[in-house]
Amino acid sequence: MDSCQPDEKLDLAGVPCPQNSARTLIKLEGMDSGAMLEVIIDDGEPVKNVPPSVEEEGHRVVEKVRTGDRWKILIRRREE
Amino acid sequence: MGIYLDNAATTRVDPAVASEVERVRRSAEGNASSIHQHGVNAAKHIEKARNIIAGSINAEAEEIVFTSGGTESNNTVLKGVVSLSSNEKKHIVISAIEHPSIIETARWLEEAGISVTYVSVDRDGFVSASDVEKALTAETVLVSIMHANNETGTIEPIKDIGRACTERGVLFHADACQSYTKIPLDVKEQNVDFITLNAHKIHGPKGVGALYVRKGVKIAPLLHGGEQEATLRSGTYNTEGIAGFGKAVEIAHTDDVKKMTELRDWFSKELSENIEGVLLNGPDTQRLSNIINLRIRSVDGNRLAAELDRRAISVGRGSSCSSSKSTPSHVLLALGMDSKEAEESIRISLNKWTRKKELGIVVKNMIEIVTELRMV
Ligand SMILES: Cc1ncc(COP(=O)(O)O)c(C=O)c1O
Repeated sequence: MDSCQPDEKLDLAGVPCPQNSARTLIKLEGMDSGAMLEVIIDDGEPVKNVPPSVEEEGHRVVEKVRTGDRWKILIRRREE
Repeated sequence: MGIYLDNAATTRVDPAVASEVERVRRSAEGNASSIHQHGVNAAKHIEKARNIIAGSINAEAEEIVFTSGGTESNNTVLKGVVSLSSNEKKHIVISAIEHPSIIETARWLEEAGISVTYVSVDRDGFVSASDVEKALTAETVLVSIMHANNETGTIEPIKDIGRACTERGVLFHADACQSYTKIPLDVKEQNVDFITLNAHKIHGPKGVGALYVRKGVKIAPLLHGGEQEATLRSGTYNTEGIAGFGKAVEIAHTDDVKKMTELRDWFSKELSENIEGVLLNGPDTQRLSNIINLRIRSVDGNRLAAELDRRAISVGRGSSCSSSKSTPSHVLLALGMDSKEAEESIRISLNKWTRKKELGIVVKNMIEIVTELRMV
């Protein structure tokens, strides 16, 4: 069911916590229900913090892929 | 509550901004740098405002640094660029009519051994791009010219000045506190590396501002500490203030600019037709929609302003910052006026709520006061 083609992308490489979570959530709020967002975040604190804070607000983390010291996170926006 | 015509000094907070500030103040509990849920919630307010402000000048979110206002942003640029520059590069260029937060910072740097060129302006307050270009040397690291002047409203040709700087590899800063939301700003078009913005001139809260820093440009922070704002500005976020700043930008409307321009010109015309010897300080065109700086021959500006004040009409005497001193405005002197001419001047600045009826009352009072003052 989960298509891996994102509707929107957000590059948050180098953006610290919790700014990265905040910007991801703002982006998701502006998207349609069920739409897919791809976010690039750093390894370390960001990958530990961003996925849980996104899920806390009811969005779903569909995929996490590591490429070097970055992560590509695919998120499905929650249905309203 | 009287008639307030000193909006270049500061503006009343818009009710929509006040509610946003209050809403965030009551709801956002966390420190916007904390990683827990409450922190993320506070950070969302900051990031929303950042997106709005970045969008308003065609910048990226990462290029916006929140500060405590125009003064801090201006200090950060001058001191931050100079302190990172190599030993051979120790020259900056500013105009003679910059705000005190630029001029006094430049003087302070001068005492520390930096050389400063103060580019002069013409009779209307215009800085010429070719004069700036001529002032550049191999040692120049930074040029700082305001987008629009706070006393006369003169709009400077920053795009041309920026181009001259870019061609010579010199960083360019524009202080846009007065022009923000009144005339378009586009960082991709206007060849700027830094822009100073603040909230309280646009019906936002006092003590909040921003600095645009072009991606890739290095600058040292003024404040060291918790490393907020990509280490460029430490200090716990003023969450509600920043949210209010974002709101003020969001609701700013070009219709207001059009309305103020019409009222501004109507007011000038009424005064010139009814009072003898009224002269406009600054240009007819290429001037901010809300500022009228004028001189009334053989009438002391301070006495006129004081008389208006007695009648509950507030206007500016020179710059708001120099109104407690009796020294004539450095801006008016730079336009080529002598002290007497500068002292015959007042600044009237409108806001988006100013009504024609109010300006009519001001005209009537000014006619009366000028007649009285000229009799003695
Ligand atoms: C052109 C200009 N620059 C800078 C400032 C200083 O800004 P702030 O009052 O936010 O420190 C002002 C106004 O006060 C101004 O008019």
